[in-house]
Amino acid sequence: MPEPALGQREDIDTSVARISRPAAAPLTLRGLTKRWRADLPLVLDELDLTLEPGTTTWVGGRNGVGKTTMLRVAAGLIDADSGRAEVWGVAPNENRARYQRLVSFLPAGDRGLYARLTVRRQLKFWARIAMVTPAHVEATVESALDTFDLRELADRRVDRMSMGQRQRLRIAMTFLTRPEVVLLDEPLTSLDAEGAAVLQAAVGEVLARDGAVLWCSPSGEHLEMAFAARWTIEHGRLVAA
Amino acid sequence: MNDAIAAGHAFLAVMRRDLYVYLSYRTRIVSQLLTAVFSLTLFYYVSKLVHVKGFGTPGSYFGFVVVGIALVSIMYSCFSIPELVRQELIAGTFDRLLLSPFGAIRSVIAMTLFPLLYSFVLAAFTLGLACVMFGLRLHWSTVPLSVPAIGLALLAFLPFGLLFAALTISIKQGAIGVSWVIALISIVGGLYFPISLLPHWVQTAAKLQPFTPATEVLRHLLVDSPQSTSIGIALVRLVAFAAVLLPMSVLALSYAIRLGQRRGTIIEY
Repeated sequence: MPEPALGQREDIDTSVARISRPAAAPLTLRGLTKRWRADLPLVLDELDLTLEPGTTTWVGGRNGVGKTTMLRVAAGLIDADSGRAEVWGVAPNENRARYQRLVSFLPAGDRGLYARLTVRRQLKFWARIAMVTPAHVEATVESALDTFDLRELADRRVDRMSMGQRQRLRIAMTFLTRPEVVLLDEPLTSLDAEGAAVLQAAVGEVLARDGAVLWCSPSGEHLEMAFAARWTIEHGRLVAA
Repeated sequence: MNDAIAAGHAFLAVMRRDLYVYLSYRTRIVSQLLTAVFSLTLFYYVSKLVHVKGFGTPGSYFGFVVVGIALVSIMYSCFSIPELVRQELIAGTFDRLLLSPFGAIRSVIAMTLFPLLYSFVLAAFTLGLACVMFGLRLHWSTVPLSVPAIGLALLAFLPFGLLFAALTISIKQGAIGVSWVIALISIVGGLYFPISLLPHWVQTAAKLQPFTPATEVLRHLLVDSPQSTSIGIALVRLVAFAAVLLPMSVLALSYAIRLGQRRGTIIEY
């Protein structure tokens, strides 16, 4: 079945600036500058990045060069000291609810889960918090259980799952509401080959509806993704990899 | 309209999540019910020693203190909010709430629903147990009115929890100051003994918080205790505390979150 056009989806409110500002890109980072402390060097130094519709961009670099900071700013989690992050022309401080509807962020590590909840309850909870229309919550969760190969684990508590299974659940939560822009921080952590394939399929689904994916990891040599662009961060700026 | 409905469901989802997490610890409910039984037993026998002006019989002090015990559980639930926020920070789920369309502020407010509802049930259980086990006589004609009165009291108490939650987000520690604030309120709020026994200047200070009028109103409605001030004045004071403190506490919470985002400390725990 073809994807409904943006603005026609019933499960979430997507009446966003993409329609009113057709020239905007899925994600634009303009002149992002961030310094954690006055005595430390800039972690982001006038960093610019634009993601085109239907593309995946890889950003790498050594540990601590600023990949996660860039993703956190792009996600709307923290502010840059200066510069601007936009998703389809909307900045987080202009319309936070809309921004958060459009962007989804998978942080690195294994945090962000409720250990005592089952997989199904976890997904249902996040669907509600993502303000999925109540009538679509059940279908959204059931679809995620199948898409991310979690059906067998649906009634298992998170604290009784392996690290790889937890990562699959975290990925399912990231793609749960079919976001326009997906920010992935070291998404392959703990994933087996099947898990990585599921992730690749989910990324492909975002690209198919003209969304964009920003994928960060220290090195990209094991990836089989077709990245439209590859960058590394050096001294707070992007350099072609 | 759709947004309002989705937000309502999100509030309920937070409450349901907390219920599931609570039920996953099977012994917790037994331990809390036993605590209520032990407290009542302790104060039942302590009340037999009480022969002071204002309490005609040991039973009248027991009625007085049972309402205090019930309110303490409600007070504790309000002050549990900062610890809940801290747990979310540590688990990394606070980030996700912050990055959701529902947002961090509504999420923190929603986090208060289950503890408050649970404390309300626990308070009702404590009163029921006091009636069944120790012969407490409730003033049944006004007991139904105590439900909206508790609701009003919760609105007046809640800002304390939200203010401490804002502090937790800023300094990343949940328990700082909470225990001594609870102890202070237990004394000046008249939860275990009448504030008329306190020095005059402490009695004046006791009027600066909502716990004293709340206990007065509820004692009047539940056990028909004699009042030091009129119920009307106590209710007006409760409304005033809720009207002033609630918006202030939500603003403080919002400011703490925005400051954390600007500084980048919102990701720390």
